[in-house]
Amino acid sequence: MKNIALGRYIPLDSVIHKMDPRAKIISMLLLLVCIFIDTGFIGYAIVGAVIVLAVLLAKLKIDFIWRAMKPMLFMLVFLLVINILVIKTGYVMLTIGNFRIYSDAVVQTCYITIRLILMINITTLLTATTKPMDMTIAIEDLLTPFKSIGVPAHDIAMMISIALRFIPTLLEEADRIMKAQASRGVDLEEGSFKEKINAILSLIVPLFVSSFQKAEDLANAMEARGYNPGAKRVRYKQLKFAFRDYTLFVVSVGLLAGLIVLKVTVL
Amino acid sequence: MPITFKEVSYEYSANTPFAYLALDEINLKLADGKMTAIVGATGSGKSTLVQHLNALLIPTRGELEVADRKIVANQKNKGLKELRHQVGLVFQFPEYQLFEETIVKDVAFGPQNFGISENEATEIAKKAIRTVGLDDSYFEKSPLELSGGQKRRVAIAGILAMNPSVLVLDEPTAGLDPQGAKEMMALFRKLNTEDRKTVLIVTHDMEHVLNYCDDVVVVEKGHILMHVDKQTFFEDTSCLERAKINPPAVIRLRKLLQQQGFDIPNTILDLPTLAKLVRKEVAK
Repeated sequence: MKNIALGRYIPLDSVIHKMDPRAKIISMLLLLVCIFIDTGFIGYAIVGAVIVLAVLLAKLKIDFIWRAMKPMLFMLVFLLVINILVIKTGYVMLTIGNFRIYSDAVVQTCYITIRLILMINITTLLTATTKPMDMTIAIEDLLTPFKSIGVPAHDIAMMISIALRFIPTLLEEADRIMKAQASRGVDLEEGSFKEKINAILSLIVPLFVSSFQKAEDLANAMEARGYNPGAKRVRYKQLKFAFRDYTLFVVSVGLLAGLIVLKVTVL
Repeated sequence: MPITFKEVSYEYSANTPFAYLALDEINLKLADGKMTAIVGATGSGKSTLVQHLNALLIPTRGELEVADRKIVANQKNKGLKELRHQVGLVFQFPEYQLFEETIVKDVAFGPQNFGISENEATEIAKKAIRTVGLDDSYFEKSPLELSGGQKRRVAIAGILAMNPSVLVLDEPTAGLDPQGAKEMMALFRKLNTEDRKTVLIVTHDMEHVLNYCDDVVVVEKGHILMHVDKQTFFEDTSCLERAKINPPAVIRLRKLLQQQGFDIPNTILDLPTLAKLVRKEVAK
């Protein structure tokens, strides 16, 4: 449980870590758009190279990236199976008895797989190199222009930051509850299906009870300190764009523009 | 079978930037039928240590033996359920295990997991609830509506109902009023002397150590600082000071009297004997 890598901040000292979170969020969005411009495998190779470079710059370990992707493996296999069953175009690549596997199915699956892997990597890069608190500040800043059309920027940012803040706490809590129930003979690994359903119930109820308890405590603590979502507030931490942030912008905008040109001219 | 730890190390989040060595090559042998207190500062590794006893944590290095089971590092350890039947572990926070609609059902959950029929488990549960000092009116109440102290009692009953031969309690008296704490400690002592259960208690309360336990294990920064019997532990207060533990009132009184020139040997651990000696000295 504690080894979950997806969405976890890794405290390292790197260029990417030091970048302005607003710049990182915008670049992430630009890169995500890049992924959806269909320029075939060449485009993905370019985006992939940029991401690999970013991972290296962020000093993240391959092992960590791999663990972040692991939870998606199931989905990838699922997609592969669905695609093979559904897509019946292209030429036949393989015949097993009455069953034929078509080339388009394989190509399509490859596309989706690559897209998903790239997307997970981009988001992992953001969450692994940005402190949750910085992320919240950035989200609030980026949403501020929309305040005039009634977007409650501060409230959204506060909700996101509380949610992020409590992910590790709840994981830890779940871990403890699991241990407490395992001590009473709940067997999540070796039991039968019916036992497992019962076991999950014995985890969910205490987890819910403690989450509600925590929410209430937090609300009281915030109120006790005079928190008022509508109040005007100043910040201790001021975000400022530096040279590296402009570089990041230029690279991601350049990448997007390049891919669009590639799409329009070559293909 | 005594409980033995052989060079047991445990590292949280091993091989990540968050790696933290909580136990460092621990060697420990706990004899059967003893009531042992595990003391140490917060974060010293007490809770990590006790979670090894029913294999909730598997050592990252070394091996241990509990209730005829050998747990070895880096091996697939199967069939741990039986071990958990033998070794009952009560956690620090009772909220983590209460989930059923009624207290009886909740307490009966443990025994049922170990293959006891529903009717029989209900009977065992009722008995366990009475043992921890709650009357019959609690049977059909929801465990979630109880006060902190009552929840703790129910959580302890939930483990007692499994009838383990080794009972491990992580700060079992936290959240109980002083009277309730005494009752629970007396209950653990009774289970230890009458039912011959091996009892391990993680505690910060030196009064409880003095009044109810046989042996003391002091844990410091992932090491076993000492493992001695109660008499030795309280005779020499220097080790208490070293472990930054506030000694029980009797020991503090003994020390104060000694500083005032009373001739009192360090072996005195109880108030009546201390009083007698003081009287004798004063009469002189």
